[in-house]
Amino acid sequence: MLKTGHAIRTDGPARPVIHAARRGCRPAPGLPLIALLAGFLLAPPPAHAQDDVAIPGIQLGLAYETLYIPPLAILPFTGPATSREVIAEVQSIIARDLDFSDRFVVLDSLPEGLADEGIQYSLWDQYGADWVLVGDIGEFAGRHFLSIELHDIVFTSVERGRFPLPPLGDEDFRMAVHRISDSIVEWVTGDPGPAASRILFAMRPFGNPSAKELYVVDSDGENLRRVTWDESIAISPTWAPDGRHAAYVSYKSGLPRIYELDMADGGERAVEIGRADQQITPAYHPNGEELAFSLMGAGLFRYNLRDECCLAQLVGGPANNIQPSYSPDGDRMIFVSSRLGEATPQVYVIPALGGEATLLSPYRYGQGGYFADPDWSAVSNKVAFAGGIHRRRVMNRYHIFVADPEVGDNRLIQLTAEGNNEDPSWGPDGRHIVFAGERSNGFGVFIVDSGTRRTRTVVASVRASDTDWSPALAAGPAGAGNR
Amino acid sequence: MTNRRFVLAAFATTILLAACGSEPEPQMAPEPTGPTAEELERMRQDSIRRAREAEEARLRREREAAERERQRAAEMARRTLMETVYFDYDEATIRSDTETSLRAKLDILRDNPGVQLRMEGHADERGTSEYNIALGNERAESVIQFLTGFGLDGGRFTSVSYGEEQPAAQGSTEAAWARNRRVEFVITAGGDGIGR
Repeated sequence: MLKTGHAIRTDGPARPVIHAARRGCRPAPGLPLIALLAGFLLAPPPAHAQDDVAIPGIQLGLAYETLYIPPLAILPFTGPATSREVIAEVQSIIARDLDFSDRFVVLDSLPEGLADEGIQYSLWDQYGADWVLVGDIGEFAGRHFLSIELHDIVFTSVERGRFPLPPLGDEDFRMAVHRISDSIVEWVTGDPGPAASRILFAMRPFGNPSAKELYVVDSDGENLRRVTWDESIAISPTWAPDGRHAAYVSYKSGLPRIYELDMADGGERAVEIGRADQQITPAYHPNGEELAFSLMGAGLFRYNLRDECCLAQLVGGPANNIQPSYSPDGDRMIFVSSRLGEATPQVYVIPALGGEATLLSPYRYGQGGYFADPDWSAVSNKVAFAGGIHRRRVMNRYHIFVADPEVGDNRLIQLTAEGNNEDPSWGPDGRHIVFAGERSNGFGVFIVDSGTRRTRTVVASVRASDTDWSPALAAGPAGAGNR
Repeated sequence: MTNRRFVLAAFATTILLAACGSEPEPQMAPEPTGPTAEELERMRQDSIRRAREAEEARLRREREAAERERQRAAEMARRTLMETVYFDYDEATIRSDTETSLRAKLDILRDNPGVQLRMEGHADERGTSEYNIALGNERAESVIQFLTGFGLDGGRFTSVSYGEEQPAAQGSTEAAWARNRRVEFVITAGGDGIGR
């Protein structure tokens, strides 16, 4: 909890946030008296406590919107007795996906008798559900299908869909069900959910504390698998827009170099750009053909992977320029530069072919600050990055921030409030962000909803880094990541 | 010695006998009882060889001592070359203790133009992992700049940065961090020629 108490919640549903002028804290009307008293007792808080969270000159007051999250009731899925296992599995995956979408309050422990006589809208309205989900598993020619009805209790309408299911145990089974969940979210909100996706990250493999390997996990935390087996250092994975390929950096040649993985068949190739420099921090252009990256000490470059040509410099100069990330239209990019001094990396926006860089992170002269790991959402056009104001010889505590590049740093949203938080990466819904975090109970991979700030653990108790969230994974070989 | 004395005595007797015999009394010379001339020559050569061998052994011991001393000096030089240098938090500037170590390396590198080094830059765990690779690189480059600034050929040095990925000390303490903010040195060529 914050020293100023109560102002920020990361794990609950949306509620209005009161923040946080630089000195002290103004409690919200209606907060319990005890919190109010605590606010007085602790104000003004010790300076070092403020350093962890507050950014001078930045209003964090518009932290997030007050959202109404509609209740959605899930009726027990039905189907032939022979398919009981499939029915249970499908229902549990969908119920969890809808919960993780943070678009509904999922009601799945329903009172007896409520669903006995078909869907009676007035009854459900009284019960307080805005949506009712009905699922029925059918079997035809040895294949399972899921028929879904989504009842809109408020507007008394219904949406129907029928989805084929791979056999239970098939490696695409869970992903196929995730895609159904994402469709249900799309029916309600107009935007698909983020469930049918995977997350790449790096960590030390068991038994070799000096190595680092890539791992991949489904967005719901299932199906954790190791991807690289080089016994070297593998870092900075980044998904290609096709959801099948991923670029990353490995030290297996002795120097950091970029390689491209085929996540479907396990193939790999070195990205040969014809220069001996150390290559770090790759990022795909939205066209999927070009890769931007940093050549150590030289600056940012791009290279055409498909034609294997056309190395071009985008950013140069004596400062460190690393971690490019393209805007959705590919016209601009964000990156990290130390041009204001080596101890204060900051996030900048620049035209994609190079040009004048605009400071995006909240730098204030003389106050330091450390902001890095930027990621530009391909969907919502927002930028996430990690950082904080840090003072020398103080243990750093970084937080995840979201900025709108159109507006700049005056509407910065801080999503985390505890522990250390790095490597944010947008999910395919442009709303959730995965990051590598440290909490009082350990390290892990976490997902935070930028709308509600609800945070959940994806992989617990792993010291992960360089988290990168895939685009939506389509069915079939192109949507791979299945190895 | 006894042998030699005996030979001398035999000579003397012969000479005396020859001198006394004024009357050329034809008389058979007594069969010499000492070593023959060939034996004497062989003995002489033998003693020369022994003396030479003794001298050679002495010289060899001296050479070996000198070689041991040279190897010790070369090992010291190698150790000095490979001595890790350390940096302040978030800094790539050369500290005074780092400068002392680099100046010692400088002398050795001047004396051994065949030696080539790889500078391996590292950072502590604070800061983001990818920016720390850039920071480790700055430290390695800062060391190379120091050495080339004194006139050494930059072509003798390469660098690689591991960022925070290869800590020398585990743990999240200032002591561990201080040991991890470093540049390590690897001799990539000419290591055998040091001190020759």
